[in-house]
Amino acid sequence: MKRREFIKNIGLVTGAGIATFSIAGIPVKAFARPFMNVQGTNGKILVIIQFKGGNDGLNTVIPLDQYSLYQTNRPTLAIPQSSIVSLTAATGLHSSLQPLKALFDSGKMTLVQNVGYPNQNRSHFRSTDIWLSASDYNQTLYDGWIGRYLPKAFPEYPSLPPLYPMAIQLGSVQSLLFENQQYGGLAISFQSPNSFYQLVQGSSVDNDPPPATLAGDELKFLKEVANQSIQYASIVRDTSSKGNHTSNYPANNTLAQQFNIIANLILGGLQTPVYLVTLDGFDTHADQQNAARHPKLLSDFAGAVTAFQTDLQDHNLADKVVVMTFSEFGRRVKENVSKGTDHGAALPIFVIGNNVQGGIIGQNAQLASNKLDGNGDIQFSYDFRQVYATMLKDHFGMTDTQLNQILLKQFSTLPLLKSSPTDVTDYNAIPDDYTLMQNYPNPFNPSTTIKYALPQSTEVRLKVYDMLGKNVATLVDSYQSAGSHTVQFNANGLASGTYFYALETRSQKIVKKMVLVK
Amino acid sequence: MSTLNYLKKISVWDADAARHILSRSLFGFTKDDVTFALTKTLDDFVDNYLLKDQPLPSSPTYNGTSWTTLPDNTTNQTNYTNWQYSLIYWWYNLMLNQGYSFREKMVLFLHNNFTSQYATVRIPQLMYIQNQLFRQNVFGNFKDLTKKVTIDPAMLIYLNGEQNSKGAPNENYARELMELFTLGIGNYTEDDIHNSARALTGWRVDRTNLTSSFIPNLFDNTNKTFLGKTGNWTYSDIVDIIFDSRDASNNPIAARFICNKLYKEFAYYQPNVDYINQLADVFVANNYNLKPVLSSMLKSQYFHSVDIRGARIKPPVEFLLSLMKQFGIPNVNNDILGYIRSQAGALQQILFDPPDVRGWQGQRKWISTITYPTRNAFTDNNINGYKISAATTLKVDILQYARSYSSSEDAIAFINDVTKQLIQFPISEMRKDELLSTLLDGAAVYDWNTYDSAAPARLQTFFKSLMRLPEFQLS
Repeated sequence: MKRREFIKNIGLVTGAGIATFSIAGIPVKAFARPFMNVQGTNGKILVIIQFKGGNDGLNTVIPLDQYSLYQTNRPTLAIPQSSIVSLTAATGLHSSLQPLKALFDSGKMTLVQNVGYPNQNRSHFRSTDIWLSASDYNQTLYDGWIGRYLPKAFPEYPSLPPLYPMAIQLGSVQSLLFENQQYGGLAISFQSPNSFYQLVQGSSVDNDPPPATLAGDELKFLKEVANQSIQYASIVRDTSSKGNHTSNYPANNTLAQQFNIIANLILGGLQTPVYLVTLDGFDTHADQQNAARHPKLLSDFAGAVTAFQTDLQDHNLADKVVVMTFSEFGRRVKENVSKGTDHGAALPIFVIGNNVQGGIIGQNAQLASNKLDGNGDIQFSYDFRQVYATMLKDHFGMTDTQLNQILLKQFSTLPLLKSSPTDVTDYNAIPDDYTLMQNYPNPFNPSTTIKYALPQSTEVRLKVYDMLGKNVATLVDSYQSAGSHTVQFNANGLASGTYFYALETRSQKIVKKMVLVK
Repeated sequence: MSTLNYLKKISVWDADAARHILSRSLFGFTKDDVTFALTKTLDDFVDNYLLKDQPLPSSPTYNGTSWTTLPDNTTNQTNYTNWQYSLIYWWYNLMLNQGYSFREKMVLFLHNNFTSQYATVRIPQLMYIQNQLFRQNVFGNFKDLTKKVTIDPAMLIYLNGEQNSKGAPNENYARELMELFTLGIGNYTEDDIHNSARALTGWRVDRTNLTSSFIPNLFDNTNKTFLGKTGNWTYSDIVDIIFDSRDASNNPIAARFICNKLYKEFAYYQPNVDYINQLADVFVANNYNLKPVLSSMLKSQYFHSVDIRGARIKPPVEFLLSLMKQFGIPNVNNDILGYIRSQAGALQQILFDPPDVRGWQGQRKWISTITYPTRNAFTDNNINGYKISAATTLKVDILQYARSYSSSEDAIAFINDVTKQLIQFPISEMRKDELLSTLLDGAAVYDWNTYDSAAPARLQTFFKSLMRLPEFQLS
């Protein structure tokens, strides 16, 4: 398996850092230019934990203010009052979540209560797809919300793909979360950076065009995946070994091991903005409180994220990273005959990191029968897409326009994160179109500031013309990256009067007027 | 308005058609298999070979001992991992030694429709019993099979049927029976789930005798309204009502759902609705017997069209086992099967342990940035030689394999023949040129012969390159 051999692979190139290949049919030269765009991600990282199977939110976050009602509904499953971990007088956690209390008390964890969506679907698979794609309950989307976000963060993709993967999934089956209708899967998947690298060695990139048949579509897909793995195996391995460190990640906890891998990559300097990890086993129809089932899952989760947060803090990286959980649904309020719970509706989610505001958003789940839905399930108070909107805007610095394009609808954000980069619209974000701002000050003497923004990296010229159309100054003439740029114009040596400044790219020319008064 | 008859039979039964049918219905095939198929007519080959009823195989053993009828108790449980592995190897052997029967692929299809996970069931005897139930009904009546599966001990454990009693029913099986096994989402209400769960109450598993039994006083012995019909329904009534269920235009919902799954598994993963509906009509007309449906599908023109040929990503177990068959690896012992089991795990297909109740989704879900290079490593290892244990090295005798082609001494003809045999996807001329230059490695084409001292090394590189191709992942 670990045979290091170079297969002289046919018609294919593995150049020294320059590989010609094709993604989505567009031939490109990759890596020709180092491109470290952090503008569309704000330099931030989001780690998403998927609780697969439908987490029992009611045995995760317990409404102490309705304890007797809780106990009536759950004669065998109710967590004894004495072992509940209180966060506030009204709200407590399952005893297995004890480690989270310290995070909560230090303001590094926010709970969002009763997250869901209208007309909750109770199929695992359909509801998972709804959460991953951020669709309405009655809408089928074939891409994921992160899959729609990433091309906004990396506007040069695919012509200039970033040097690091745009997203990483720890696992072996690509998630809908990272699917993009236009570009396909945007994440790479692996379980260990080293074995990933070993396996990919000796492969090379492929650019034979597939035929236009259904079968040809499948061939094209296979090539894209193969090319992605070749593209990123080295950088993943290298950054991981650079960041490799030991910390106190709990043993017998596979989630914790995955978080250790993510920490190695972040410490090693990988700029990848989104990670997905999965914790499976939440479909607890029977014997839920068996120590090996729900309690074990919760304690694995608490142990893993606590160790991760400590680790990041120790390395001064905790400001960059937010961890959030989700699950396809919560579970029914009333337990079933087999000491388990059937599929339900809304559930609480956890958001953890240095930059969270802390505390609890929303009221406890309301258990009175007239407050439940027709199936006896908890009603939602927050749409899950409000959480996504918050992450996209306040963590990654997306603009409102971009937000609407990603979530396909307008959703208000929640007061989840501390340092909302509110000024990001003007300074950091990648605009949707070429913009040329009015110079400031105007009128001016002798110098003024001109700001402009580019939706993608491009050759750009910024020139100043007089009233007769004569070019009196060229302020910019170069290849520039996407985002906002600022130049100073000094009009020493020019006469008073009206001038035009023009932003010129291959596809655009925008002109504005300014007045020099001496 | 006339609709195209998708089930019209192909008019040409040639080597391309034979390779396509063999690749979709077996776990690998050889040149001789193609030759054999063409000695029969299409009808004869499909109906009297692929779909022929076969006697049930004898049960698996571990260390020479039969374990499948031993009770589930603490003494036996210490052996469960070994027994479960022996069960997997037993099935691998059936897949490898199935002759020209479509049976084992259909058993895998049924396993993936009526999923149960060993990780949850934890009793290999019951996984075996369920697997034989599929085999016994493999070309038979799907509706009857659905009834049998509903009270199958492994299924009762897996989806909590054995914990379902009147009073506060457990909905797990009721939901998945409709959503995943028979109707598909959107064809029932939450109330239908609650009410059918009540009709399914009362079944328990006897772990000593490895059977299930009905305990009347645990059964909800009252009227239930299910899919618009009211009565004191039992599990068997529930299945009947499911199969009688029609959509607003009076189309059979379950038949279409199952035929969609068959199409997805054996033809192409994105549905062709008209084709599927025509198959469903055959299914209903034959009272939910599978054989006529499979026969129509395998012979139909659309199944053989350029869109479908070579469009299926090989599932891991098929990918791994077919190599043994294609290259004629002698003596595929338990060491080799153990290695295949570990690789199948890395490629995300452990028999008896699908990832969740939906089963393996297949096609593109088989391929990720980690599984693709894992496939490459496996094919490389077969050519390079891979030492599994002190006694066993897995290695293709590449020279012998090459010389099994009558064209082995003519490089261009050889590449034509090899790619046709090993790759179902229509390979481009550019690819063939690339493969040719890999094979020749700088030598002139007229200098090629397998008796040259450099030939074995060149053949190794050639076959490794060929099997690393994305085209090789398709069938």
